[in-house]
Amino acid sequence: MGPEIIHHPLVRADGSATYSSSLFSVTAAVNGPIEVQRRDELPEEAAIEVNIRPSSGVGGPRERWLESVVSGVLRSVLLVHMNPRTLIQITLQVTKEPSLKLRRSVKDIAALPSLLHASFLAVADGGLPLATTMSASLVAVAETGETVLEPSEKELAKSRSAHAFSFNTHGDLLLDESAGEFDSQMWESVCQLAAKACADTVQRGEDEAMGNGAAEKLPWLRLELEDRAREGSAWRETT
Amino acid sequence: MSNGVLTAPGLAFPRETFAKLTPGPFLHTHLKQTKPLRPNGRTPEEFRQPIVNTGSLSHSNGSTVVRVGDTAVVCGVRAEVLLASDIPNPPRDGMQDEELIEELGLLVPNLELSTGCSPANLPGNPPGTVAQSLSYRLLTLLHDSHIINPADLRIQYTEPPTEDDETGYAPRIVTKAYWTLYLDILCIAHDGNLFDAAWAAVMAALRNTVLPKAWWDPDREMIICSPLVSEATTLQLHSLPIASTFACFSTSSHLKQRKEAESWILADPDSFEEEICNDALTIVLARHQNAQTRILRLSKTDGSQVNAEAVQGCVALAEQKRAVWESILTGG
Repeated sequence: MGPEIIHHPLVRADGSATYSSSLFSVTAAVNGPIEVQRRDELPEEAAIEVNIRPSSGVGGPRERWLESVVSGVLRSVLLVHMNPRTLIQITLQVTKEPSLKLRRSVKDIAALPSLLHASFLAVADGGLPLATTMSASLVAVAETGETVLEPSEKELAKSRSAHAFSFNTHGDLLLDESAGEFDSQMWESVCQLAAKACADTVQRGEDEAMGNGAAEKLPWLRLELEDRAREGSAWRETT
Repeated sequence: MSNGVLTAPGLAFPRETFAKLTPGPFLHTHLKQTKPLRPNGRTPEEFRQPIVNTGSLSHSNGSTVVRVGDTAVVCGVRAEVLLASDIPNPPRDGMQDEELIEELGLLVPNLELSTGCSPANLPGNPPGTVAQSLSYRLLTLLHDSHIINPADLRIQYTEPPTEDDETGYAPRIVTKAYWTLYLDILCIAHDGNLFDAAWAAVMAALRNTVLPKAWWDPDREMIICSPLVSEATTLQLHSLPIASTFACFSTSSHLKQRKEAESWILADPDSFEEEICNDALTIVLARHQNAQTRILRLSKTDGSQVNAEAVQGCVALAEQKRAVWESILTGG
């Protein structure tokens, strides 16, 4: 079972998506390429502006930091040189957060995969030129040293370290935010687990015939994007 | 000219002009030599050595000036008393000690960039995205590293037994107030890799922090601090985490084949390199006494050129740097 995705929930934005995982719900809106303010203008590429709104209150230093992380990933996903001297504006509204009290850094890291997926789906929905697709995953390491992929709230609250990874289609590491206490072997194994999980969401398995037990391994992101592409080109068949 | 001898006009740019006009190719030509050497004269794996000066501000509880190359940072620690009666939602009794600092916000770092430390940071401007996210990264790292024993920040009072109590009743210890440490970090010169310098300044300033002896006076119902230096205590840190930042310079572009790209990892980038490089990798290592070095924080952002193997190499380099910086910060 993949996460819940709603395509194009907002009518007036160029692209939008709502992404809900078991931990977070995020609505993303993308406008672009649009006119850029003089001071933000880049001569050779499009500027990327990310605004994150928390589920309650106004954004503070935490949101500024998350914004800079998200825009760094999107910059390597989007073909920014195609629209120089323009702005791509992404607004992310968090609508659901874990209700359990989590450590600050763990909560931030847990939010990153949802923020990235929401903004990526919105960017794809908005038809912006992409260099590659990306996917992200969250891994927690329990006190016992056991690695948990896509942990639940309880597992996060008890974790020794939390890791958010993002990979593109080529398997390049786009993002890693890890906090807690771990050693480099542990990081290595977490990284491999996350790389595998990210690849599974975008790659179709070798054998198409999957048993019922393997339903969890469905490349949900790929299926979503294929569906969107089919819908988008449906007019060709009717005319 | 008339005799046919042409003197070629000077076509060679001086070094500085070349660096200004085409920073990317300038760095690339330096790195693609057989022995790569960066424009600043360092090898790719070489860190700058810090100069640490502690206790330079006389009116703060602890202070340091850390200078790493041309990056200079001042950090001052100011301790204030937070009365337990002033806390709107007092901490639950069952709460673990480790959560206390984060829950009550007893450590408050704030990084000030608008000091005219670089042409991009003019004095008087409100804190921008960079300053805010750096402050936030310092805050989460302070919470994650658990370097301060929360018990050191409590001001406790033993209630005398009242008449109602039975004899042999154990005296009740109540926390009447907490010390809140405000960490103000001022960047006075910015030449790249601000996070490492700011974090080192925070560590050195906290090690240098002296808290006066404070107690609850039941008659006046207030906290009294002793003016005597001899009674004051120095804050003890559990470990001394050190941050190491790396940048990655790469020739890759969306207009080229993927396999044509070359990349170099540069340790401790200066601001010239930070501007051209994409990837940023920060590793924070800590070592408890007689224990293995642990990674507290690993963050790789912006760009796609650093793979897991390169990260492992950087962890090894960061460990070397940690040992060097630890001896400088503890010896200074």
